[in-house]
Amino acid sequence: MNLLDRYIHEVGRFLPRKKRGSIQAELRSSVVDTLEDRFGPDPDQTQVEEVLLEFGKPRDVAASYHPRGQYLVGPGLFPLFQMVAWIVVAAVLGAQLLAFGVGVFIAGEPFSALETLAALVSSVPASLGWVLITFMILQYFDAKPYLDEETWDPKSLPEINPEERLKKGELILGLVGGILILVLVTLFPQWVGFVTTPGGAFYPNPIILEYLVLIQVSLLATILMNIYLLWKGNWTFLTRVIKLGLDAFGVVILGFLIQGHNAWLAVKGQSSFDAWISSIESNNWELVGMHAFRLAFVVAFVVTVIEIFVTIYRMARSKMTSDVSAKDFVLKVE
Amino acid sequence: MRSMMMKHTQSEQYQKLTQELRRGILVLAALSQLEDEKYGYSLISSLADKGLDIEQGTLYPLLRRLEDQGLLKSEWNTEGSRPRRYYQISSEGSQVLEDLTKEWRNLTDVMERLLAGSSS
Repeated sequence: MNLLDRYIHEVGRFLPRKKRGSIQAELRSSVVDTLEDRFGPDPDQTQVEEVLLEFGKPRDVAASYHPRGQYLVGPGLFPLFQMVAWIVVAAVLGAQLLAFGVGVFIAGEPFSALETLAALVSSVPASLGWVLITFMILQYFDAKPYLDEETWDPKSLPEINPEERLKKGELILGLVGGILILVLVTLFPQWVGFVTTPGGAFYPNPIILEYLVLIQVSLLATILMNIYLLWKGNWTFLTRVIKLGLDAFGVVILGFLIQGHNAWLAVKGQSSFDAWISSIESNNWELVGMHAFRLAFVVAFVVTVIEIFVTIYRMARSKMTSDVSAKDFVLKVE
Repeated sequence: MRSMMMKHTQSEQYQKLTQELRRGILVLAALSQLEDEKYGYSLISSLADKGLDIEQGTLYPLLRRLEDQGLLKSEWNTEGSRPRRYYQISSEGSQVLEDLTKEWRNLTDVMERLLAGSSS
């Protein structure tokens, strides 16, 4: 029976500790019952081997006792895992490239292709590892990827409306961009500014640094909203309202930034457009940079305001479209 | 060579489909035989005697799952030549057995009609 002991022990290695003893005892009793029924009370080695082969490989036998299967990340969580993994890899690669770019072009550090490649190669598995660990924990606690799964109601199905459909590529691009900027302003706030030439003089932007916390909060909130949108897969009234709120918050911050630049330029007596042209002519790079930043913020301000109106228009249109299609349906039925 | 491979794949596919078909009835089959308490091997023998062969590696985990779901109760009996775990249907299990039996009869009726239609 030495072979049977070894078999039972081997199965036990793959069993959950809590139930191990009981399963092993039952398995032993079953194998002995089978042997006794087929070959009598004193089976030989070949006969034991035959029955153990029938029971199957120890690892497979143990696996059949795992109620949730032996997944690191199960089928329920896998689509979300895949999406998060892609986003994290893109963001990590982007952040690494950004850090090298900033290091080489702004701080004037020497460029080493081998070092850059090594850092890229090592950072991807490390970040994927963290994503995997997070999802393994979620899997262990049997987390449901969709919060409302238990109380699903057919009425909550999204409308078939192109306006509601998400442009995933656009969203992921925005997400990666948002993470990159957040990483930049959080980890390297001293590098937020402008540089004259590669490796040349660097001027930090004092106004951005003044409103840094507000910028970080806005970026973080937008990133979280984008992740939530990717998770849900489509626009809803609530997400549009949240987007409106975040855009309004962005407009306020952009207003502060523009005002701050105006004040800074006014102190220097250089706030007009003509002053910008003359600062370019006179190679006054600090003024050129601050004017450029102000212009960029004005553009961003205008774009965000337009986006707010587009969002309001889409909300109204989406409501009207769903009302019309409901009426059409009633008419057709009648 | 290619036709041999195709035949092999088809037979594998057939095996999988048969397994899937049989998997669905195992719960009903096991519950139906546990009005009186039985240990694993005696249940396998009882099912085999009535024409249903079931692998040991499939049955034991199934019994555990049914017990976890409250459809079976079990206890160790140490009186015989060796300790054995005996399973018996619980009152909740009896109710489920009754419902599943009705469902099974409906299904077999429907399937009979469907298959009669397809063969005519």
